[in-house]
Amino acid sequence: MQYGMYINENRCMGCFACVVACKDWHDVPAGPASWMRVKTIEKGKYPDLFVAFLPVTCNHCLHPACVAVCPVEAISKRPEDGIVTVDREACLGKDQCGLCLQACPYDAPQFGEEADARMQKCDWCLDRLTEGKKPICVISCPMQVIDIGPLDELRAQYGDVRETESFTYSEELAPSVLFKPKRDERNLAIGKIEVTPRVGTEG
Amino acid sequence: MAVDANHEEKIIRSICSSHCGGTCEMKVHVRGNRIVRIESDDGEYKPRLCARGHAYRQRVYAPDRLLYPLKRTGVRGAGEFTRISWDEALETVAGEMNRIKARYGNAAMLHFCSMCDPHTLHHVGAFHRLLCQFGGYTAPWGFISHEGATFSAGVTYGTRRKFLSQSEHRLEEYLSSRLIIMWGWNPVTTEQGTLTPLFLAQSKEKGARFIFVDPRYTDSAAVFADQWIPIRPGTDGAVLIAMAYVIIQENLQDRDFIEANTIGFDQFKAYVLGLEDGAAKTPQWAEAISSVPAATIENLARAYACNKPATLATSISPGRTAYGEQYHRAAAALEAITGNLQFQNWLSAPKKKAVKFNPQLESPPNPVEAGAPPRKNALPFRGVSVNSSARVNVSLFADAILKGKAGGYPHDYKMIWLSNTNYLNQLGEVNKTVKAFQQLEFILVTEQFMTATAKMADIVLPVCTFLEREDILAPRGGGIYALLNKVIEPLGESKSQRQICQALALKLGLTDYGDKTDGEMVEHIVTRLSEEVDLPDLDSLRKQGFVFGRPKKTEGGGQPEDKKIPPTAFPTPSGKIEIRSEIAARINDPLIPAIPTYMETWESLNDPLAVKYPLQLITPHLKRRAHSQFDNLPWLRELQTQAISVNTVDADSRGIRSGDLVRVFNDRGAVRIPAKVTERIMPGVVALPQGAWYSPDENGIDYGGCANVLTKNQISPGGAFTPHTALVQIEKVGQ
Ligand code: SF4
Ligand code: SF4
Ligand code: SF4
Repeated sequence: MQYGMYINENRCMGCFACVVACKDWHDVPAGPASWMRVKTIEKGKYPDLFVAFLPVTCNHCLHPACVAVCPVEAISKRPEDGIVTVDREACLGKDQCGLCLQACPYDAPQFGEEADARMQKCDWCLDRLTEGKKPICVISCPMQVIDIGPLDELRAQYGDVRETESFTYSEELAPSVLFKPKRDERNLAIGKIEVTPRVGTEG
Repeated sequence: MAVDANHEEKIIRSICSSHCGGTCEMKVHVRGNRIVRIESDDGEYKPRLCARGHAYRQRVYAPDRLLYPLKRTGVRGAGEFTRISWDEALETVAGEMNRIKARYGNAAMLHFCSMCDPHTLHHVGAFHRLLCQFGGYTAPWGFISHEGATFSAGVTYGTRRKFLSQSEHRLEEYLSSRLIIMWGWNPVTTEQGTLTPLFLAQSKEKGARFIFVDPRYTDSAAVFADQWIPIRPGTDGAVLIAMAYVIIQENLQDRDFIEANTIGFDQFKAYVLGLEDGAAKTPQWAEAISSVPAATIENLARAYACNKPATLATSISPGRTAYGEQYHRAAAALEAITGNLQFQNWLSAPKKKAVKFNPQLESPPNPVEAGAPPRKNALPFRGVSVNSSARVNVSLFADAILKGKAGGYPHDYKMIWLSNTNYLNQLGEVNKTVKAFQQLEFILVTEQFMTATAKMADIVLPVCTFLEREDILAPRGGGIYALLNKVIEPLGESKSQRQICQALALKLGLTDYGDKTDGEMVEHIVTRLSEEVDLPDLDSLRKQGFVFGRPKKTEGGGQPEDKKIPPTAFPTPSGKIEIRSEIAARINDPLIPAIPTYMETWESLNDPLAVKYPLQLITPHLKRRAHSQFDNLPWLRELQTQAISVNTVDADSRGIRSGDLVRVFNDRGAVRIPAKVTERIMPGVVALPQGAWYSPDENGIDYGGCANVLTKNQISPGGAFTPHTALVQIEKVGQ
């Protein structure tokens, strides 16, 4: 079975509640390692703009590149739910190795700023999932942007859109993420505000 | 309490009490006396925590938290202090208070506390009770956040209650709106409770159209906007009045509503059409002022008048400008003449049955205010105390200290007590406030952190956070109740605000302040409220988040909901919505006109000063702070850089690129911070988020990025704080 994540990009307001909730829950200190990140997408010229926010974690790919390249098998994919976990004891560290970071096109492997930092990353809150609770980012998002659950159930509920503005689906890796993408509607704004014709006369 | 079997963690409930306007529910995980993590309540319509709420553990355990009383050893502002005992600290404070009282009188003492960690037991009432028992003090008047809105609601509707609907319509109202005009409102960042953006998202999904009128393409615009109308700061009133012109010219006004519910439409119409001053307030007139194209104003006016129900979601932010009252007055007039007001809070809400018991701490009248006449711009719905001319506007403490009686203030001021407020940082013209504070004989600050304000103090007393003491959220008149549990014991020697007042009362020889503990007070309040309100018992209250307490039914049952508008719905002199305000007319000040009027701000682009300082500064919120709170927490600091937003055009002409260090300056001061070059702000306007901690070097140049180094210490005629009215220049100083 494969778990997956669904993101309603239209609703994300870039508030970082998920980012900080994740750091608090998993005791990740301030610094470069952040299991959950929120990207800002900005396009256009004043005053015709498009701005979107996108939360990104590890995508727990069907064919994870990180697992394949790790020389000491520190990263593994759980058969029961497809979640990709990392054994930090076994990891050789960023300075010695860092191959997973090079291999992952989604920048998911995270390293702290300490010397020889070991890899850490999102595990879709395995601790919570095993207790039957949704991951912390899901329950802390004020806009209810994120859902995490069995991928086929998510597909049935939300459809099968695999790409959005700043996220390219890799056929080779098959990331387990679905989107409701935010559409760039520049130039459509004119005429979108419906105006009822004049009802009165001058005076 | 719920026990998490796997972790042996207890979950204790509280309500996030930061000064953002929201009160989001918090499930705090504790092990022993230690907070280990914080979870949101994920109930479907529970306000979930924002990033700041989730970072609260770092705030409680911040290495720079103040945990012991401190005495200043270096010069004011240097931040050199030594730890002393509570006894020595309180002895010193009581000694100074007695000395100043004997020498200069009670009025020489100023006091202010902010909305950081407030609610019932630890807010202004705690201090007010003590200081009034001590013989009185000079209290502030005016709301820093929304005095412009409060004032204009007061003169238009005769009450301040209605103003809340201008930016906080009942959330359900958004769901039935066809059009929502977000005027200077960025709820995604300011939060005001995380349910607000959720409801806006649902309104959008139901088909509501969103138009944003704002100098910035805010994050809220990013999420919701169908259209963005950039506007010059301080010119909102002109555009709203020109919209009224279009509506009147095209006869789109709601005649029935105007007839039934308002007075003064004809006078307003005469002003709008220019019958008296010969200047018609046409869209072309407003375009020249605001840079909003006339055709856009026409379309906006028609859209608002013809897409009912439409919500004019006017933020309180544009009211924090010179003559900001007029923006709110014009918006209120527009809502009334289009009949869109009918749809809002005031008229549709059933009258709440007042609960008689007032949970706030009681206080004797303030002797300093005895016999003082009301201020000239007093409002009828405010009590005599708040209206008293013995008070000083909250924005003007620095001016009052510097000028005293000679400058027309009621007294000469020698001492200030500031509690949970980074006053120096958060009000106009920091360098002037520094100068004023240097003159005082005694400064007492009760705080959690060594803020720029605390650095000026002679004695600093450590206050615990809201997670370390008990409190209750208990509005009068029924509504939402919640109990704030003590989650852990206070760290170090920190105490609650009320405990500090209790201890100081004893040192001052005041025996009737009250010796109940905070916990006993909460119990007492719940018991008393339960006589009038249907509330769960204390134990259930401790375990739940928000509960909705309804006033108990009395004989005859509750009033039926009367949706029809009674003829005298408004406590104004006429009983109607006063587009021409009798209250304003009686104030008899040309700068507070009876009709909503556009008045050009000081430091506008037409000011000769604009040659030297050609950029308009606005000082918006940053989502990782609540005002100056949270600025020091690593989890939040890393999310956003404190920087000044500059449009590409203005940056290019100055050779500035994103990330460059720039000097932002005017005659009041200078700040050095990185620039953020962006398309998301209108040319000619720069935005420096307020709340960053003032950190001057030896030359007085601020490297912290404190916006108020640049703002002016001048209030609007109605009393509003005016931080969005300031001209600056920027130049590149490094990379
Ligand atoms: S997103 Fe990157 S780190 Fe995560 S499973 Fe795929 S390849 Fe591995
Ligand atoms: S699933 Fe859990 S670990 Fe992953 S980002 Fe969300 S909160 Fe963090
Ligand atoms: S909490 Fe939700 S809305 Fe906020 S940044 Fe994360 S995904 Fe977006």
